[in-house]
Amino acid sequence: MLEIKNLHVKIEEDDTEILRGVDLTVPKGEIHAIMGPNGSGKSTLSYVIAGKDDYEVTEGDILWNGESILELSPDERAAAGVFLAFQYPIEIPGVATMTFLRTAVNAVRVARGEGELSVADFMRFVKEKSAELNISMEMLKRPLNVGFSGGEKKRNEVLQMAMLEPSLCVLDETDSGLDIDAIRIVSDGVNRLKSPEKAMLVITHYQRLLDYIVPDKVHVLSKGKIVKTGGKELALELEESGYAEFVNEAA
Amino acid sequence: MGEAATKLTVVRNPAEEGFLKTYADIAGTLPGTEKIVKARRDAMAVFEELGLPHRRVEEWKYTDLRAAIKEANPVAKPASVDAGALKSALGALADVDAIRVVLLDGHFAADLSNVDDAGKGMRIMPLAEALGDKEFAAAHAEIANVLEHDTSVALNTGLMTDGAAIRISGPHETPIHIVHATTAQSASLVTTRNTVSVGAGANVTLIESFVSLGDAGVQVNTVTHVGIGDDAHVVHVKVQKENAESLHLATWAVELSARCHYDTLQVTTGAALTRNQIYLTFNGEDAKAHMNAAYLQRGKQHCDSTLVIDHIVPGCESRELYKGVLDDQARGVFQGKIMVKPEAQKTDGKQMAQALLLSDEAEFDSKPELEIFADDVVCGHGSTSGAIDDELLFYLRARGIPEKKARALLVQAFVGEAIAIIEEHEKLYEALMGIAEDWLSEAV
Repeated sequence: MLEIKNLHVKIEEDDTEILRGVDLTVPKGEIHAIMGPNGSGKSTLSYVIAGKDDYEVTEGDILWNGESILELSPDERAAAGVFLAFQYPIEIPGVATMTFLRTAVNAVRVARGEGELSVADFMRFVKEKSAELNISMEMLKRPLNVGFSGGEKKRNEVLQMAMLEPSLCVLDETDSGLDIDAIRIVSDGVNRLKSPEKAMLVITHYQRLLDYIVPDKVHVLSKGKIVKTGGKELALELEESGYAEFVNEAA
Repeated sequence: MGEAATKLTVVRNPAEEGFLKTYADIAGTLPGTEKIVKARRDAMAVFEELGLPHRRVEEWKYTDLRAAIKEANPVAKPASVDAGALKSALGALADVDAIRVVLLDGHFAADLSNVDDAGKGMRIMPLAEALGDKEFAAAHAEIANVLEHDTSVALNTGLMTDGAAIRISGPHETPIHIVHATTAQSASLVTTRNTVSVGAGANVTLIESFVSLGDAGVQVNTVTHVGIGDDAHVVHVKVQKENAESLHLATWAVELSARCHYDTLQVTTGAALTRNQIYLTFNGEDAKAHMNAAYLQRGKQHCDSTLVIDHIVPGCESRELYKGVLDDQARGVFQGKIMVKPEAQKTDGKQMAQALLLSDEAEFDSKPELEIFADDVVCGHGSTSGAIDDELLFYLRARGIPEKKARALLVQAFVGEAIAIIEEHEKLYEALMGIAEDWLSEAV
């Protein structure tokens, strides 16, 4: 279970407080969506869960399976099961996607005490998972995300999610920049990963993605706070009325 | 005052005196025909006049040899070493199948070499022998007059003891590997010269490696002259991982004929001070030279890459990608000069020098120069330096890769772009990527 308690976060460089007391609980087996207007702190929340350096938690805590993860480095969090699918996956020239995947999978396996996969086992694993996402072996030979289309990048994120076998998945604006076909492929990939052992947090500005990844609960984040929580129908209401109500309310 | 100023220009430092004395002492024992003897004498006269280059000499602005060389080390005594020790010093490079020419402390070591395996179209001779051969000395004028304005080369001409004289025709699958190994347990001087002549239409990969089997500082001065015929294709790789006490001066003088291809890669992790010079001249139209380098330095190591590329005929292409990784107080220098003579229309010359700084105290100096006298050319240069990108690092760590490993991956990726020039040569590629990996694992 993911428990976020009274989380206050500011950017390290200036003193701007981005999250101003977020409370959120996502039990295993559930998918929760976080919606909100631009600048509400959605991406910050995802980065803070993953352990990015640029933010400072001034108050509150994030617990995963009952343990605080705030003191863990990003790689330790990944080993503990945390996975963030990036809104903008990073391009790394000179690192072949396949090399990156193998390094990451083995690092996480070693940290979890499972031991590295043999080359043959790894190849079987990567072939199976990439076929499900319509990712070619040719694409995996290319440098990580370099020259990938928006859709390819997001499919690659979901591939990593499938291979690293996380238990807490945070998807940050996974639909941004995707056409309907790409959204469908990515969503199918995410839905395949749904299990009673996994908690998922889907961050999105638009309701559209939630037609494909159906949430158990929807939370509205505005000005650094959760201002409303409801069922999946809340997303449809927001689509109708927009965020104006919440922006004004929180102000 | 006046007297002191005059003295400064006249007085030679102990190292300069030392090199001149060394020459005087050993000139009679050095190999060569009369013509070579004269070339040596002339070269030392140049050295006597110019001395060691210092920071007020523009080409040596960032690499002050007069300050770096306190004294001339005594010439290395020929030593012997067992094949196992050499193999372990070479590491993965030893596994690259090759015709091997081993130069041990500046002398051809027949027992460690396999030049007898050189097939048809490949003639390899110890340079000491070639220098004494009248026909050879007459045919290889470059021995006598290569780059006489460069004092490090003059010193090489004066003191060269041995090397490889190679003549190639036809295509060759198996590379030629010239191993320059030093064994010194006390400070010494090693001076080698290679000359490689590649005939029209020939195809060969040439590897030069530099390794230390001893711990003492060696002053290494090496010059390789490469002449490439029409339509020939040459890959020229240099690997230098000498001990951190050594001083390494290396010069390649390259002459390209029409439509030939010349690809180079220089990988440097060793020595306290390294100067890699390449003087390249396009003598024939429509030739291509693609030159890459990857150097990784730490502590107070200093690595200088100086290129002088002379486009004197039309339609040639030159490309450079130089990548340096600098940690601690290490210093990287890139000087790239592209000259385009008035006749050299349609020249396409581009260079890029990049440094990855792993510490706040590391330094990178880049000095590109374009000297263009033709009007229909495409030339450009670029230079970047910066630290490891935090965004890239976070992405890798968010995927479970520990920080040290993530940094290593990014450093390898950085130099890998340069090393990729020999990617098709799988074993060699792996060996060179392995050198970067070894360097990273040696980090404290």
